[in-house]
Amino acid sequence: MPDKNTALVQGTLDMLILKTLALEPMHAHGIGLRIEQISKGVFQVNPGSLFPAFKRLERAGWLDSEWRATENNRRAKYYVLTASGRKQLKSETRDWKTQSVAIARILEA
Amino acid sequence: MNVFRHLTGGLKELVRRDKTESELSEELNAYLQNAADAKVQAGATPEEALRSARLELGGMETVKHEVRAVGWEFAIEVFVQDARYGIRMLRKSPLFTAVAVTAIAIGIGANTAMFSLIDAILLRPLPYPEPQRLIVVGTQQRGRSEMDLMGTADFLAWRDHQQSFEQVAVLDRAGRSFALSGMGAPERIPGVGVSANFFSMFGVAPLKGRGFQPGEDRPGAPGVVVVSEQFWRDHLGSDPAVLNRTLTLDGKLRTIVGVMPAGFRFPSRRPVDVWAIRTLNPPAARPPYGLVGLGRLKPGVSVRKAAAELNDIAAQVAAQYPSSPDLVGVMMPMKEWMVSDVSTALLLLLGAIALVLLIAVVNVANLLLARATVRQREVAVRLALGASRKRVVRQLLTESSVLSLLGGVIGLLLAYLAVRAFLAFGPGQMPRLEEVGINSGVLLFTFVVCVGSGILFGLAPALETSRPSLSDPLKDTNRSSSSASAYRTHRALLVFEVALALIVMIGSGLLVRSFVRLSDVNPGIQTDHVITAAISLPNKYAGPPQITQFWQQFLEKVQTLPGVKAASITMSLPPNLLAITNPFTVEGQGYDRNHSLQLAEEMTVSPGYFRSLGIPLMKGRFFSPSDKVESDKDPMIVIVNQTMAKQYFGDKDPIGRRIQTGDPDPSFPWETIVGVVGDVKYSGLDSGPGPTLYVPYNENGWVMWAREMYLVVRSSGSAPGIVPAIRTQLASMDSTIPLAQIRTMDELLDESLVQQRFRTWLVSGFAALAMILSAIGIYALISYSVSQRTREIGVRLALGAQRSNVLGLVLREGLQVLAFGLLLGLVGALSATRIMRSLLYSTSATDALSFIATSFTLIAVALLACYIPARRATKVDPMVALRYE
Repeated sequence: MPDKNTALVQGTLDMLILKTLALEPMHAHGIGLRIEQISKGVFQVNPGSLFPAFKRLERAGWLDSEWRATENNRRAKYYVLTASGRKQLKSETRDWKTQSVAIARILEA
Repeated sequence: MNVFRHLTGGLKELVRRDKTESELSEELNAYLQNAADAKVQAGATPEEALRSARLELGGMETVKHEVRAVGWEFAIEVFVQDARYGIRMLRKSPLFTAVAVTAIAIGIGANTAMFSLIDAILLRPLPYPEPQRLIVVGTQQRGRSEMDLMGTADFLAWRDHQQSFEQVAVLDRAGRSFALSGMGAPERIPGVGVSANFFSMFGVAPLKGRGFQPGEDRPGAPGVVVVSEQFWRDHLGSDPAVLNRTLTLDGKLRTIVGVMPAGFRFPSRRPVDVWAIRTLNPPAARPPYGLVGLGRLKPGVSVRKAAAELNDIAAQVAAQYPSSPDLVGVMMPMKEWMVSDVSTALLLLLGAIALVLLIAVVNVANLLLARATVRQREVAVRLALGASRKRVVRQLLTESSVLSLLGGVIGLLLAYLAVRAFLAFGPGQMPRLEEVGINSGVLLFTFVVCVGSGILFGLAPALETSRPSLSDPLKDTNRSSSSASAYRTHRALLVFEVALALIVMIGSGLLVRSFVRLSDVNPGIQTDHVITAAISLPNKYAGPPQITQFWQQFLEKVQTLPGVKAASITMSLPPNLLAITNPFTVEGQGYDRNHSLQLAEEMTVSPGYFRSLGIPLMKGRFFSPSDKVESDKDPMIVIVNQTMAKQYFGDKDPIGRRIQTGDPDPSFPWETIVGVVGDVKYSGLDSGPGPTLYVPYNENGWVMWAREMYLVVRSSGSAPGIVPAIRTQLASMDSTIPLAQIRTMDELLDESLVQQRFRTWLVSGFAALAMILSAIGIYALISYSVSQRTREIGVRLALGAQRSNVLGLVLREGLQVLAFGLLLGLVGALSATRIMRSLLYSTSATDALSFIATSFTLIAVALLACYIPARRATKVDPMVALRYE
């Protein structure tokens, strides 16, 4: 059971993964770690939701994958953002910003 | 694009299951190691790091399962898995499976067969280009509802003045066959006369050669014909050089200009071998009415507008022929014209068989329910281990779908056989039979019915079984709570089943009663020892003297054959081979043009006709060979039937009174009544009494009709036995004339009822099926209830209950279900049988006897079905029962 604080807002995990991969291709563990670090531990990504998300995003054509060697010389599957994934990230980010500004306004009113 | 990727991605995964699985495992392992590496770097020992990484991952298989569940292909995988499991379960109880699959197969097979008929005949558009624009045109007397034929005057006026149709054509309804000679023994082949643009109006291309060309129907054009593919194959040996070959039809040479493909059959009731040109000469009078107008509407023109135009034209024609009755023009879509008379019967059959399927479905549902109690433990274990109710219901529904699909596959096979049997042995004379078959539309119907019935009979048991009561079934000591509700469902379903069975049975009861009444109708003749045949004279018998001479000589020859008691010819035969009806006017009872005409069945006969059919003379005399009627100076004579005498002359003596026939015209000659004979059915056994007129066949004005006559011979011995001798006599007079349509009078009576008999048998078969199925249902319910109550019964017996008390106790349960079912069924039948009204002969749709008799039959059968298991209850040994469990 995810803790109340660490639970992700429905549907945002996909966006976070895309954002993480916008910098460079990464493997599953790296992605989870990066999200946790950047959010300063607010979001802890459960592998049980991470892997289905990869499959979903790959199916949608926003991610590609390839096997590569890690920095520790182990093999891992690296995920790469595709061009359409980049486009998707842009539009999701825009939507998110509009929405969060709106929600903030409502909460502060 | 996106959909495509989802589709291919899912398919790839389905095909390469192993590869994606191993890749997923590898990826998850890599994840573990990466996570562990990170923890080691943070200072943990390798073992600790791996352990906590594993904990974080939280169950490799769970993650894999969730990844798998992302794509649509997962639903298919689950289905396959459930279906496999279902098949295993079904194989474990072969008896149950066999019974259930058989019930479903019969239900679905019969429904599929019936639907394939309805699809071909009623649903599919006609097999011609843009069939919705094809229209049939006729006339109608004011105040009547049925569509009659057109006369030549009406057709020509319509053809020349209409603006709504691209093309109009005509079909001659009078001549339906041709005598084919010069190719072996002479024979009659089915054919029809049409105008030159008949084929181009349909827009169907010939298989070989051409259709008719404009102008070929002008008087004096050379005679050309188009033949059917079947005729080309059977009679001409598929001769590739068939074009320009000649045929001798009705004694005239005709040139073949085309062969139509096998799929083209119009009119479609019976086969057509030859389409010949029908020449239309401008007529002197408006009647006779023997033509069917056909037309292809211009695009965008409505039937209503075309009909209004037709009516204006008909009014002009009526004005041209002032003595003619006031006929209005009517038109209807061609498909409606072709199939409207069979649609009620077909829909009735589909309705009945759909009810039978429902009964079968309910039965299987009850079987599943009985099994549900057995499987409750298994399901409870699944629920206890964390399966959701939705998941369990899905599993159970998949199982029932497997059952119904299995039944469906066998049902499809049965349907295929049933359709083949229907085409071979069923009543011919149905429109569009050549289009019947099992096609993709029918397959879709079967599939939908299969899945639908699978869900229908699976739902109640599935919901019942998966009722979340975890502890009870696991304990297996006391099954009362959950099985009580299963039992309630069981009983409710059975009430429904009995009601449905009663509806089908009452429907069949009504049809049987109506059919018995119809078969009991007195046709007005002595039917035994009578043989009939059709003979038509070619055109070389050009005038009255030749025709009369031929018949006189031929009848004399037949008359003197050994074993022949009487021989005669007639234009029409009972019970339904009526050639024409004719308007008439009784002297002194003038005609009012604003009322519809009184029509009589009129036919020409030779003097011996009444004796050869045993028609009784009531008054006056029969015709005699010495009657002088051949010249227009001779007085015309007529014999009328009893109904006519009663209707128009009441108590007065009709002998010597005079009538006119044909359209009312004061200048027409008067005909004197010389005799009154008994009523005979000529328009079908189900037709009401009406006036009939007989005139001598050789009478001036009628003799040219005597080219196509029926021979009627009464013999002392076997009627068919004298056919060879008759044939020899005919050949000795003219070897080109075929003796066609040879039937005994009993056969004619039988054939006239073929449709009614067929649907009565079929619905009775359905009703028997429904009755047996519901009896099995009741039997199963009572057996089940007895087995559940063995202990209770044991206690009762131990405490001193009589065997008869126990019997009553169990029977009462069955009776309750039966009573509710009967009540529901009677109410349902009262409204359902109303749609059958048009199919019943002198039987009300709420005929009390049918309702009561079928109800009692069902009660008797149901009681028997109750009694057998109930008796078993009385045999319970209290000691054994108490030790039970």
